[in-house]
Amino acid sequence: MTQQSDVQPDPPAQSQWQTDLQNAGLWRKFLQMSRWHGVNWWLMVISAIGVLVFVIIALFPSWFAPYGHNEEAGPSRMAPGQKPDNYLLIVRQDSPYTDFPSLDEGVESPSQAAKVGVRNEVASRIISEQRKKYDMLGPRPVRVFDRTVEQFLQGILDGDYAAVLLNEKYQEALADFPELKSVGYVGRVYKHGFLLGTNVLGFDVFSRLIYGTRNTLLIGMSSAIFAALFGIPIGLLSGFWGGWPDRLLTLTMDSLYSFPGLILAIAIAAVLEPGIGNIILAIAVIYIPTYFRIVRGQTLAIKQELYVEAARALGAGRVATLALYIFPNVLASVVVIFSVNVADAILTGAGLSFIGLGLPVTTPEWGADLAKGQESIQSAWWLVTFPGIAIALLTLAFSLLGESVSEILNPRLNRQ
Amino acid sequence: MTAEHSEPTSVAHRSTRLGAQGEPLMRIRDLHVEYATRRGPLSAVDNLSLDIYRGEILGLVGESGCGKSTLGKALMRMIQPPGQITRGQLIFDGVDLMTLPETEMRKVRGARISMIFQDPMTSLNPVQRIDEHIIEAIRVHQPEISRREARRRAVELIERLGIGAKRLEDYPHQLSGGMRQRVMIGLALALKADIIIADEATTSLDVIVEAKFLDLLRELRDELNLTIILITHNIGIVAELADRVVVMYAGRVAEVADVDTLFHYPKHPYTQGLLKSVPNIDLDGDELYRMPGSPPNLIDPPGGCRFHPRCPQAKPICAQREPALAAVSPAEGEPTPHSEHLVHCWLYQEHE
Repeated sequence: MTQQSDVQPDPPAQSQWQTDLQNAGLWRKFLQMSRWHGVNWWLMVISAIGVLVFVIIALFPSWFAPYGHNEEAGPSRMAPGQKPDNYLLIVRQDSPYTDFPSLDEGVESPSQAAKVGVRNEVASRIISEQRKKYDMLGPRPVRVFDRTVEQFLQGILDGDYAAVLLNEKYQEALADFPELKSVGYVGRVYKHGFLLGTNVLGFDVFSRLIYGTRNTLLIGMSSAIFAALFGIPIGLLSGFWGGWPDRLLTLTMDSLYSFPGLILAIAIAAVLEPGIGNIILAIAVIYIPTYFRIVRGQTLAIKQELYVEAARALGAGRVATLALYIFPNVLASVVVIFSVNVADAILTGAGLSFIGLGLPVTTPEWGADLAKGQESIQSAWWLVTFPGIAIALLTLAFSLLGESVSEILNPRLNRQ
Repeated sequence: MTAEHSEPTSVAHRSTRLGAQGEPLMRIRDLHVEYATRRGPLSAVDNLSLDIYRGEILGLVGESGCGKSTLGKALMRMIQPPGQITRGQLIFDGVDLMTLPETEMRKVRGARISMIFQDPMTSLNPVQRIDEHIIEAIRVHQPEISRREARRRAVELIERLGIGAKRLEDYPHQLSGGMRQRVMIGLALALKADIIIADEATTSLDVIVEAKFLDLLRELRDELNLTIILITHNIGIVAELADRVVVMYAGRVAEVADVDTLFHYPKHPYTQGLLKSVPNIDLDGDELYRMPGSPPNLIDPPGGCRFHPRCPQAKPICAQREPALAAVSPAEGEPTPHSEHLVHCWLYQEHE
């Protein structure tokens, strides 16, 4: 076609910055993101890194956690950074006892058991633990509360106890008692405290958080994905078909939507057995109407667009029209709801666990931990604070990432 | 533009085209299209019969609401509820499209009859790249063609339409209106459709781009022997481009003639009025003619000739009976028309 060269391409209808954008290198594009997309690049990078970190932690918790998720790492309710006390076994210089197990040698009945003096509950429990550990009859802890360290140590010399369990930090007092000696530590020796403290059961809060990331993410993501998988196709079909199927579906979804979300999730979770799958299901159900409504509304609008009619004029069938013309145009708005939904689902999951309909105690999950921590909120602030901060951070990372990504992905925004 | 296309197309050029008509490519017979409304059926196209020939550019003109676009859509059976084709035949290439099941009809759309829409700004999918549009159009009808082959065809197509192949990777919003309109033509041409229906295709373009677009249409027609149905209310475009013109009024054909005859010797009072109402830069002093009255309500149209309440030459018979769409012979001193001149008016027909 020789004449075709006459039809000149139109002069570029784009403005200077669009030309710039096409010529700019990747790095420049990235740095200038706020100018072109209205997204602050650092906000996006931070949120992306945040989400990535959470995902890595969820995948490989053992790389980060110093203790196991169900391991009694130390005494109950240690404040963040607080080092638990270590205890020394103090005996007379001429005593036959060389270590804790030797206290049980030759003992044939509980009445013959050696008496060990302790000054507090913790020391008393260490004795009990050691007894269990070595499967021994004695020794018996004898508790004295109102004596000074000196009076307490004097008790050995007075014959009140065969040995005493002395807190490491009072060992200077031993200098005044040359007749006494220390035969070493009893129980676990702590060199440092716990970063975020321990909970009521003595579990390390930090390790619980690390191990809980997986379940928390799983609940948030799966329920959002599950809801999207149901809500989007139903919304598409409902909007596309119109007529009575549309009315029926809209009515159903609206009635579902009119329930307060958490109440509905509570009802569903209460009927189902506790477990991560059922929690996901319970949360997913309450988000289906959100997707349905948005997608149906968009479908109704896009169905009227000229390009959908143009697709029909090109011979596209119903399936092709839905899949290639309507769905991709609906998707932009779905991405936004999705990111917000993940964050919201984590909170709802936490809420379910909080009222006890969530996961069993042994399963680490932030919401559940938060709920358990709430029982001792007056004595141990760290039990609610850190899971709370973790939930807030994860939610924030997802919301920020979702919004930045959707703004960049949507070819229609910020480009006019 | 080369000399051939920058000059106004000569009558001789058009007449040769009209001379080689032969068998019509599409025969529309007794077509009725109705829209269901709350106050009863609205007859948008009423008892319309028309022949469309291969290779011609057929202008379809009339006021807003006279059924032009409805007719265009009806040709592809694209009327959506509440509208419906209630009666009639659409014989295309020997087959009555009205008898085809929807799945068969889908194979006709795009592949045999294609449509270019009014607004190029919104008739492309905003989230699909240009190449995807064309590849998809090809593969909808010929799934056996590989994506690579379809893309090769897309490049070929887009380059012959004067758009660089690089532009295939763009999204619609990155193209100008003129480019988008050319992409729309590309989509219509992707499968070498026989008939292209251009529904107000230039309305949203400026005059420069519009002129280019019209030249392109004409070139493509000449090269590919396309049949183009040009639906417009812009009489100027029709005068510029069309070979034959159909004037519609209130869902019926008022007059059919080749473009020269219609513009120089209009017979139907409506056509005469329509031509007088066109703003003309050469017209000095005279106030623009304004046709009295307004188009009738098609839910309850006037009996007889639907134009009679506004007609300056109405006779008693006009209100009673509908005239036939009949051929008229040229009056004394008028040249022989290049094609049959049909008028739907009692002024040119015998009656008691």
